[in-house]
Amino acid sequence: MANKDEVLNEIRILAGQNAIGKEELIQAYDSGKGVRGDIALTKKLGVAEILYYIGGAVVFLGIMILLGQNWSTLGVAAKVMATLGSGIAAYFVGVLFNRDARTEAAGSAFFLISALVTPIGLWVIFDEAGFNANSFGMQTWISGILLAVFVSSYFVFKKNIFTLFSIIFATWMFFSFTGFLVAGAPHFNDWKFYMYRTLAVSTAYMLIGYSFSKNERVSLCWFLYGFGVLGFLGAALALGEWKPNQNVFWELIYPGLVFGALFTSVHIKSKAFLTWGTIFLMAYILKITAEYFSTGLGWPLALVIAGLAMIGAGYMSFSLKKKYLSA
Amino acid sequence: MNNGILKKNATLIIGISIPILMIIFVAVSIYLPGLFVKPKFNFVYVTGNDYYYYSQYQYAVQNGKIVENEIKKPENRSYEPAREVRLYMHDVAANTNREITFEEARNMNLDSNIKSPDGFEIITGSHSGGFLFSGGSDYDTRYLTGNNISKKLDLRLVGSSYYNNFRFIGWIK
Repeated sequence: MANKDEVLNEIRILAGQNAIGKEELIQAYDSGKGVRGDIALTKKLGVAEILYYIGGAVVFLGIMILLGQNWSTLGVAAKVMATLGSGIAAYFVGVLFNRDARTEAAGSAFFLISALVTPIGLWVIFDEAGFNANSFGMQTWISGILLAVFVSSYFVFKKNIFTLFSIIFATWMFFSFTGFLVAGAPHFNDWKFYMYRTLAVSTAYMLIGYSFSKNERVSLCWFLYGFGVLGFLGAALALGEWKPNQNVFWELIYPGLVFGALFTSVHIKSKAFLTWGTIFLMAYILKITAEYFSTGLGWPLALVIAGLAMIGAGYMSFSLKKKYLSA
Repeated sequence: MNNGILKKNATLIIGISIPILMIIFVAVSIYLPGLFVKPKFNFVYVTGNDYYYYSQYQYAVQNGKIVENEIKKPENRSYEPAREVRLYMHDVAANTNREITFEEARNMNLDSNIKSPDGFEIITGSHSGGFLFSGGSDYDTRYLTGNNISKKLDLRLVGSSYYNNFRFIGWIK
């Protein structure tokens, strides 16, 4: 990244050539004002950063194995210390490391440990307090507490790891709270309701991902686009169900959704949309072939036609990637 | 200034709004119909497991009246497990139960159809937890459901609330 003098020098040159206006500069300044970039996550992850995160995940695994092996022999205090205590300690180590630019990236790894261990710690607290920690109601509380902590942390530290876990905890809270709402209403079809909730969350992921693609949180796009389009197309395919209980609306609209994902991949230059769009187009071809053509045409001919259609879908995907998405 | 921020973050705001709107929609669609639709028909049920050998039940409904069946014990069966079979009447408006005698039940006009005349039926719950941690089951809870509403039933069951420990007899007409 260029330093301040280099940037100012470039501006002088561009201004001399009338290639940049004062308003554009003011607009760029205003849009960046008040935004503290996450040094560890706005730039591409280096080997050191990746190792920090792997290290954080390994520490989490170690704590879980330790707990799993000694769960029955540990007392309440030891369980709470090993889980919630570790989570809080890791959070404060992250805060301390975050104060020095040299250790800031390592600080994010400690925030990762905290994000992974603290949910277990809260579960232990609620469980030991005599609540049914597995119930939707208690999970709404656990995820709500975590969401509040991580959203607040984001506003203080402006780090993308807090954005990422805020989204994960918000998703958890959404599923828990809606599950809690319908727990007293079994006339809601559980399975279909799950799919509709997945559609809602996936749409939210894709829109948030698109919003992030224009700012310093662009590094979260792969996660939001990837899980968003996977959840959306997966849920829509599942809602089509299977003959004789098929849902005609979802089966008819599905090709439109898949091609919508493929065209969007070109528009927003997303490989996740292209990859999942192609995979789900192939899945749809196989599903429709099996449902409607395997008995009339017979399986061998139906498979030949489905195979040719899948080759066509693969070729289209390859062409789109080569023409529009290659860097 | 505010308009500028809204315009700049429109996609983000719409994205966050979708799950929130879904929560509101689900809450309204669950709780709103319950304010207007009230189940009217009380029902009689038996608890304590009145099932005997070869699909024989102690109580049944014939011609709109409860009858007590004579249980025929197979010859090869000598042991008879102890039973504590009780009849209850459930008041759907108050969600309360009153134990009744067989004679009391015999004076009632009963409809043994699964669905009540006003479109309600009794079903078991599904599950009560899940996603990140393992879920708990709700299969031993019963609900009165129909007309897009559900009401959790508070029943008096002998022993545990195990799902075999409840048998619907009939709606009181």
